[in-house]
Amino acid sequence: MPSTVTKQQTRLRTAPVTGSDPQELFRRWQRDGDASAREALVRQYMPLARGLARRYGRSSEPFEDLLQVASLGLLKALDRYDADRGHPFASFAVPTILGEMRRYFRDSGWAVHVPRGAQERALKVRDAQERLANEHGRAPTIGRLAEYLELDVEDVLDALQAIQAYDTLSLDAPRPRADGETAAYGDTVGEDDERYELVELDATVTAVLGHIQPRDRAILRMRFVEDLTQTQIAERVGISQMQVSRLLRRSLEQLRTLTHAG
Amino acid sequence: MAEIPNLRLSLTNSAENVLVVRQALTGAAACLALDAIETNDLNTAVTEACNNVVMHAYEGEEGPLEVELYARRQAVVVVVRDHGRGMRSPEHTDTADHTAMGIPVIEALTSEVRFDEPADGGTEVRMQFDTPNATALEPLAGDAWEAALATVPDPGKLAGAVELRLAPTAIARAVLPRVLSVLAARAHFTTDRISDVQLVADVLAANAGDSITGSHLDVGVAVAPRNLELRIGPLVTGRGESLMTAAADGLAPVIERLTDGQRIAATRTDFAETLELRLVDQR
Repeated sequence: MPSTVTKQQTRLRTAPVTGSDPQELFRRWQRDGDASAREALVRQYMPLARGLARRYGRSSEPFEDLLQVASLGLLKALDRYDADRGHPFASFAVPTILGEMRRYFRDSGWAVHVPRGAQERALKVRDAQERLANEHGRAPTIGRLAEYLELDVEDVLDALQAIQAYDTLSLDAPRPRADGETAAYGDTVGEDDERYELVELDATVTAVLGHIQPRDRAILRMRFVEDLTQTQIAERVGISQMQVSRLLRRSLEQLRTLTHAG
Repeated sequence: MAEIPNLRLSLTNSAENVLVVRQALTGAAACLALDAIETNDLNTAVTEACNNVVMHAYEGEEGPLEVELYARRQAVVVVVRDHGRGMRSPEHTDTADHTAMGIPVIEALTSEVRFDEPADGGTEVRMQFDTPNATALEPLAGDAWEAALATVPDPGKLAGAVELRLAPTAIARAVLPRVLSVLAARAHFTTDRISDVQLVADVLAANAGDSITGSHLDVGVAVAPRNLELRIGPLVTGRGESLMTAAADGLAPVIERLTDGQRIAATRTDFAETLELRLVDQR
């Protein structure tokens, strides 16, 4: 009887090693309940689970949590795999493990909420951007930010995008100024706004610009009349360059909407 | 009539270009209002297909990688194509080989997948993702021009270029800023200048509907250190100028202020032109 033969062979072996014939290990685990065979299988296929967690969950934090979910998926796959069907284990395990990770994302609300990790990362990127800009007197490259924060370039780019999208990173909070004083946002904007009273605008333009908040109007003018860089504007107004970027994009968008509507 | 993709990327199969594809897809997914899991599925599967082209299609040589996205009712279809040697067969799934994990991953994350080897060589992976709540895209006006303009030259015949084709405007608005950002990052632009690049992308995308002939916006991008060159077209004759000088009223023309060089080039047809822009990070 095949099972007997298998058992005998099993007994003849010494401790299972990684790289043992998986079909054999599956028989020992599934048919004979040999826990050491299961351990060997876990060891052998852990790189698969890890690889999938890395590929599917690259934007999820912390990675360890997701790896745990992937490992759980691997254990399920080890239990359910039918070696006799002749399909390679990976083709069965991959969907099982991915399914487990997907369920985890669904259940944890990851699909609908911006994950906390991503928010924190966006804030970290924003702060690092400011720190590096202050240290070197110019804005950092993405590569420098990634290196500084030990993140992928993709993470930094996503964070920049996220900063643009969040109102919650809010931008009305007081920012430290170069002289170390903390300026409330409204104060600094008032000054700049007066300075720009002198810019001549025709009636239509004034009407359109009238819909945009004074601070944003001031920032628009600094960039498109005075030709300051965004970093210079950030210094002058006492906000981060990221915020300048966000406000500029928003203002231009709003201007377009208004002129189209008019 | 062949279906027109909503997004097409033509690039080389370098590893760093996979990030360009991912950022483009993330933008498209946002435009279609896919949820985070759908977006992740899309990105993961397409990344696997692209990595396969990066690693295997040209046996260490450089070659083209094309990615197309079609937004359908309740489904998104993505095609990844190369012109290299044939696909590694789906049976080739040795678990010890991490690259071989790709095909099962693609199969697990798509509702339908087809691996083809077209007669003219190469490999085509056609992936369908079910996206029941996706926003439908309105086609651009001017579809009637499509047949007449089928021969309008691609604007992006630049060395080492990434070429993008976008339709309609909604896709362009979501995708162009992200793609130009990642390319600006590659050109070692500072965050300051990348923000300017995003503004340029916003303006181009927002005005595309009024400016282009035909049904899509083509953008070619060449990347060199601290230097980005863009070619935008095919534009209705005269629209290049108006794009270039478009001003948020009362302010300096946005494009002119944000770029370091502008040129309008005629295309082979006399009713279309191309706007060429250069952005430098002088810091």
